[in-house]
Amino acid sequence: MIKKLLVFTAAATLAVPLDAQEKTWLIGEVAPLTGPAATVGTRLNNVSKMWVEEINAKGGINGRKLELATCNDENRPEKAVACARDHIDKGAVMIFGNSLTASLRAIQPLVRQGPILLIPSPNVVPPADSYGFQVSPSDLHLTEAIASYMKANQLTKMGMVAATDASGEVGVESAKKVFGDQKLELKLARIDLRATDATTQLAQVAGSDVKLVYSSYTGGGAVTVVKSFKILGLPQPLMVSYGNMSEAFVSLIKDVKPARLMGTSVAALVPELLADPGERQRAQAFLVAYAKRYQERPDMINLLGKAAVDVAEAALRNVKNPMDFAAVKKYLESTPIPSIQNQRFSPTNHVGLDASKVIIVELKGEGWSKADPIK
Amino acid sequence: MNLLTQAVISGLMIGAVYTFLGIGLVLVYRTARILNLAHGESFAITGVAAALLVGKAGLPLPLSLVLAIVAALAFAMSLHRLVLRPRAEWPPGTLILITLGAAFVVRGVLILAAGTDPVSFPALFGGMPLRIAGGVIPQQGIALVVLGFGISAAVAVYLGATRSGKQLLAAAENPYAAELLGVNVERARLTAYGIGGLLGALAGVLLIPLIAVDFQSGLAMTLRGFIAAAISGMSPVGVIFGGLGLGLFESFVGAYLGALYQDPVMFCILIIVALWQSRKIRFGGSRRA
Repeated sequence: MIKKLLVFTAAATLAVPLDAQEKTWLIGEVAPLTGPAATVGTRLNNVSKMWVEEINAKGGINGRKLELATCNDENRPEKAVACARDHIDKGAVMIFGNSLTASLRAIQPLVRQGPILLIPSPNVVPPADSYGFQVSPSDLHLTEAIASYMKANQLTKMGMVAATDASGEVGVESAKKVFGDQKLELKLARIDLRATDATTQLAQVAGSDVKLVYSSYTGGGAVTVVKSFKILGLPQPLMVSYGNMSEAFVSLIKDVKPARLMGTSVAALVPELLADPGERQRAQAFLVAYAKRYQERPDMINLLGKAAVDVAEAALRNVKNPMDFAAVKKYLESTPIPSIQNQRFSPTNHVGLDASKVIIVELKGEGWSKADPIK
Repeated sequence: MNLLTQAVISGLMIGAVYTFLGIGLVLVYRTARILNLAHGESFAITGVAAALLVGKAGLPLPLSLVLAIVAALAFAMSLHRLVLRPRAEWPPGTLILITLGAAFVVRGVLILAAGTDPVSFPALFGGMPLRIAGGVIPQQGIALVVLGFGISAAVAVYLGATRSGKQLLAAAENPYAAELLGVNVERARLTAYGIGGLLGALAGVLLIPLIAVDFQSGLAMTLRGFIAAAISGMSPVGVIFGGLGLGLFESFVGAYLGALYQDPVMFCILIIVALWQSRKIRFGGSRRA
């Protein structure tokens, strides 16, 4: 009897931790929390953390709580690879690729057999036969939206300042393709990431015949471009990249704001522009919740992070065994995912949004709203 | 708008930054024989501290700048007094690594204090930009050029033509002989770190209103200073011309060839200059940087 009791006690003691361990879904995240791209990584990480806390507070998904493992890749490809390998080895059910172009390109080959890699960056378009899913419009889509806006305003020429890094290269390739296809003229100047002055680049591209100037730069470099734009006293509207919609950026340039400052964004940044009531409600709810949690208005990067967690949540809720990566892939390719802007993937397309989901916004007061026409 | 004029203006501003940061590095190197890889942190500390004091604490700009400069100065002098001086007998390579470590410590502190987003503060010299021959330069830019080259030239004259300046240099050339001649070597080195920190801080005060600064700006600025210092052979006078040349060169390459050519061309020149400077070492003689 005593022997049986001891065996039972030992079995029960061993069983509890194993059971608890099985009740957790491990979500891997690769994000630059320090280094040049930290502003992007921390914004996306904020959303991941918020999501995991909310889900766990409600008891988890289908009885399992979430565990977020964030690995800081500093936007260095070799570190990103090590991070992703570690997540895969530890049995991550899904990986948030919350880093930038070079890191994401380095990770992609590691997930050929899964797990699902969710990519909020517009710059990395995953092949349709891969386990990567891009939850943002691609950079090509963002550029198409700029071209559509130009055509609607009868503009034929745009000046563009692009950085000399991998992200800048993607922007230049997109601009050359879209502008070439649509017979629009592009005046291009590249700027080094360390630049402390952008007046020369702007002088190259912002002639009197150019009615719109676009800077694809993000972060501190974008501030340099805006300040140089102001120094030169250029009269054209200046359009900044989707990475510069944050409250911190707006606050930083408020005293040197050009006459008109525009940007590219997913429409969810201005929820009242969303026609779908479900999308509008989800976008508004997220904007409020994020602002309440972090005391700042979310920007497009935060919104893309929200799209990623929505896709992850849908897969975890609806696929019977989320560790069956092929089943998750099939589910995502066949089911529209409700989000701040609904994600639609297919077996031939792993990009969840397209150019129709992008809007051109303009800074009015301290907030972004739909851009007015260019006269 | 005239691209040539704008390239010259931009080159002068960039050159002033190279010079400002380079002269501080040269000063410390020529006094303590240490390449201070935390030199640019004075720039970052000044920028982040001033931005927080103006933006978050609501202090007036002049007071914020003074407090920020004091913080940068305190960092630079503490680095020498508390970290490097007690380890003065350690190999120079190890001490250089310690300065790199100090730079990363500052990075960590700045990220905790201000987060990862870039910050900035208003220009000390506001008003309408000056338009000259089809080019434009902001008043803050004029101050950067005038003070950047002016103060650097003053430091070079101080080192080469004054008794206390020569004592600083002697402290590095032969510290034991200098001490026998009555030079207080430790005070000389502390002074050098202090002046170096002050120069980095002033570079921040003048440049940051034209750009933005974040926790990682320090090492980037150290690199800029190092390029100018290395190209000049660690010469206080040479760094002024080296910085000016680099600034104009960078601006003209960016304007007429494209920014993609900047790094390859600039580092090729750096290698050629280094080979030129080391010719006597390679082919006999005793000259060294």
